Amino acid sequence: MPPGNEYAAEQLKKQGNDHFNNGEYELAEQSYTFAIQKNSASPLIFTNRANARLKLKKWQEVIDDCIKSIELMQENMKGFFYLAQAQLAINHPNEALSSAIKAYDFCTESAQQTSNAATISAFVLKCKKAKWDIRERDRIRRRADLLSELELHMEKEYKASIEEIDAGVERGETGQIEGQEEKSRRKDEWEKKVGDLRTAFALSDPENLQKREVPDYLVDGITFEIMHDPVVTRNGRSYERATLIEHLKRSPIDPLTREPLTIGDLRPNISLKDACAEFMENNSGWVYDCEDGEHDADTRWAHLSSS
Amino acid sequence: MFASKRLSKELLKLQDKLPPGITLVKADNFEEWQMDIRVMDDNPLYKDEVYRLKFSFSQSYPIEAPEVTFLRTPTTPIPWHPHVYSNGIICLDLLDRQGWSPVHNVESICVSLQSMLTSNTKKERPPGDENFVRYNTQRPRDISFVFHDNQV
Repeated sequence: MPPGNEYAAEQLKKQGNDHFNNGEYELAEQSYTFAIQKNSASPLIFTNRANARLKLKKWQEVIDDCIKSIELMQENMKGFFYLAQAQLAINHPNEALSSAIKAYDFCTESAQQTSNAATISAFVLKCKKAKWDIRERDRIRRRADLLSELELHMEKEYKASIEEIDAGVERGETGQIEGQEEKSRRKDEWEKKVGDLRTAFALSDPENLQKREVPDYLVDGITFEIMHDPVVTRNGRSYERATLIEHLKRSPIDPLTREPLTIGDLRPNISLKDACAEFMENNSGWVYDCEDGEHDADTRWAHLSSS
Repeated sequence: MFASKRLSKELLKLQDKLPPGITLVKADNFEEWQMDIRVMDDNPLYKDEVYRLKFSFSQSYPIEAPEVTFLRTPTTPIPWHPHVYSNGIICLDLLDRQGWSPVHNVESICVSLQSMLTSNTKKERPPGDENFVRYNTQRPRDISFVFHDNQV
């Protein structure tokens, strides 16, 4: 690399960051591209360009940038996090989930980045939800196929019986009025049968039987959400790691007992984590509802400032 | 960042079931809610009266305490209490920066205030009420109250 290029790249990156902060994502992308032409060995420029490209919804390019950045730097929280977002956007929730979990692990391992943990943790839940959604859609489609096949069959039978009555009236075997009455009786019968069938299907759907409530022991007492990475305090209560740390940064006391408590006192609660994961696995369609996640595009990644 | 999610969960619960003497008046957004409380025993100071509470939430709720004050309306006076100023500002350790804990919630605050009133027998305002009400321009959360007596 010619001397001075590293400096020039740094200047171009700063320019890109300014554009990014002003919401000029295309200009930001361009500046980062120039910066990369000057210095293609900096993982940070690649992640910054990935972030700009996320905003521009250039998913495939985001993925390329993240992979380059991760090649240059393995412990790359931002790289994995942006990668996860792009993977989810192109509907690859399995890959997205494993990238998001890597980002989360790097985030919690490093002391100064804990404020991102809550954002990433929410995203991990979103990937799990997407995975569950796909499974659920398949299940519903299979069920719906069976139901519509049966309904079609019943409709055919009904129509055949109506035709038979009409034919009987035409041949003079059945009277006009008698035929009408018989037809309306058949119609009622058929409608009732279809109703019964639909009820039977609805009843066999486990979703209608299960109580839609997350048990209290899986819920974080601070966010009131199901936990994803619970930690246990000295009095035996568990909380979501990211939110409890937010609290402890402000006041280092146990939220319940008010005894002194520091981040170093916390231990992961692995069995509870597994219990939460299992519950999510079976129920996550309604446990984690993206709709009320108030994630508008601008505040969502505010935590991950460009650097 | 969790404020609106957490508040929407609290709201669902409040709409479902509330302890006696507490009612939800208004919760149209995730910045300000209003609740009514009544004291459930025969304490003559508070008999037959309803008090309105105004909750203001910041983006950092519940890591940060909500701001809670009594609100005077044509039907709801400010209750007498040695920790309640006549402009509705409440001096309660639980609402203070040090006393707050994120496991508290709107319902538990209402219950605490109910019991703070129930146990009081003095028809008094805090010392210096007149001056405080006239000159205070600070928001409740920024005032460092001296807790005059801890029995109340």
